[in-house]
Amino acid sequence: MLVQFYNVSKIYANGVKALDDVSLKIDGGEFVFLMGPSGAGKSTMIKMLYREEIPSRGQIFVASRSLVRMKRSEIPALRRNIGVVFQDFKLLENKTVYENVSFAMEVVGANYRDIKSRVGEVIKMVGLHGKEKSFPNELSGGEQQRVGIARALTNRPLLLIADEPTGNLDMHTAQEIMELLFDINRKGTTVIMATHAMELVKAAHKRVITLEGGRVDSDINPGEFTLC
Amino acid sequence: MLRNMVYFFREAFKSVARNHLLSIATVSTITICILILGMSVLITLNTSTFLDSLESDVEIMAYLEQELDNDGIKTVQGELESLSGIESITFVSREQALRDMQETLGKKEYDLESTLGKNPLPDSFEIKAADPHDVPDLAVEIEKINGIYKVNYGKGVVEQLFSTARWVRVVSLVFIILLGLGAIFLIATTIRLAIFARRKEIYLMKLIGSTDWFIRWPFFIEGIGLGALGSLLSIIILASAYGSLLSRVETILFMPLVSGTDILINLYLSLFAAGAVLGIIGTGISINRFLDV
Repeated sequence: MLVQFYNVSKIYANGVKALDDVSLKIDGGEFVFLMGPSGAGKSTMIKMLYREEIPSRGQIFVASRSLVRMKRSEIPALRRNIGVVFQDFKLLENKTVYENVSFAMEVVGANYRDIKSRVGEVIKMVGLHGKEKSFPNELSGGEQQRVGIARALTNRPLLLIADEPTGNLDMHTAQEIMELLFDINRKGTTVIMATHAMELVKAAHKRVITLEGGRVDSDINPGEFTLC
Repeated sequence: MLRNMVYFFREAFKSVARNHLLSIATVSTITICILILGMSVLITLNTSTFLDSLESDVEIMAYLEQELDNDGIKTVQGELESLSGIESITFVSREQALRDMQETLGKKEYDLESTLGKNPLPDSFEIKAADPHDVPDLAVEIEKINGIYKVNYGKGVVEQLFSTARWVRVVSLVFIILLGLGAIFLIATTIRLAIFARRKEIYLMKLIGSTDWFIRWPFFIEGIGLGALGSLLSIIILASAYGSLLSRVETILFMPLVSGTDILINLYLSLFAAGAVLGIIGTGISINRFLDV
């Protein structure tokens, strides 16, 4: 079991209840969509996975480790096992494609030779071979997201979290990004993806967890979803 | 570790080059702060040296009874020497005292001895205390000794000098501390701007799993470097200004200027260290809030 939520609630300082008694489990190797309207608690849930937020009540385990009891000094080790892909890509504009990806390895103290071989590998994997020296503003949206995905993958995470990764992309490009994420999942990485894009979800035949007002509204496994 | 250090220094240099306007702002802020701080320290140093010399001039005159013979004088001297807190005791005979007075009043106008007919002055001891602040208490002790009929140390004036000196020292210390705090605040604000410009990068580093210290190091190196550069500039300005002042005058308003090379070099080195430390503190204050992800 890679991710476990037990009766997790989150109430922000301003009184907003973002999550309300959420319990769920995600196995290693799964591909899970997280759906729900804005304000349903998707972002809070995602931020909890890499411990940017901690629950007000309940327990969260990632790879058998409690995030609630985790010390501040243990957070970096957790995050090195989690790759995060953002809707707005969050690329560093003054760095090239290569540097944006190698950055992720440099900042965890990897050595130069490992960085060189691994960065080349992931850039090829996401289909950006030949664009290493380009800057983000010279790339299309889809290409920029590929850089974001490559960066999330460099440190070989157990879990890839994608927060609306296709939100800023057209349908065709979104489908290409989805193919890339499925491919990553097939190679063993667990993927959790928050999205609004119903078409992509329907076509995927994967597990779908729907949040509504901070609660789990439905949790449908592959196969079941197509019957609905 | 060595690999990381290379990375930290490279990042620090890149950051300075990338944000060169902010770097210039930081260096100038530090230069101005250290310059003002250094000037205040120089003024305080001069004042305090002057006060020290005034204070160390304070001595006790103990006048002996006229009828005391040589043995009596020896006994008094022995008793004085047994007191604690005394640095030196000098015997001044009545003849010496008259000669000194003659010297002070000028030789030509009067001949004291013939004018007065006889020497009215008593034998005395000049007593220096190890710590000038003990003088009033010592004077009371000395007055109790048999054979001494009067003790004089400038009562009233001396107490006032000591309290003024203490006041000046406290005020200048408070002033320097306030200046230091102001400098920290200014420098922290400038450095915060530089860090703010890179908050997205710091956020990403945190999410990717950088440790706090891995993120802090380049910023600290940058802070130390800019702090040291800024203080170096201010020391150059201060040293050449004070040097040229020394070459023109030796005193200001009867106050001799401090010119000892050792003291000045120590001061400049301390200011240099202060610049680097201000850079570290400024960075330390500014960076933590960006690490809270």
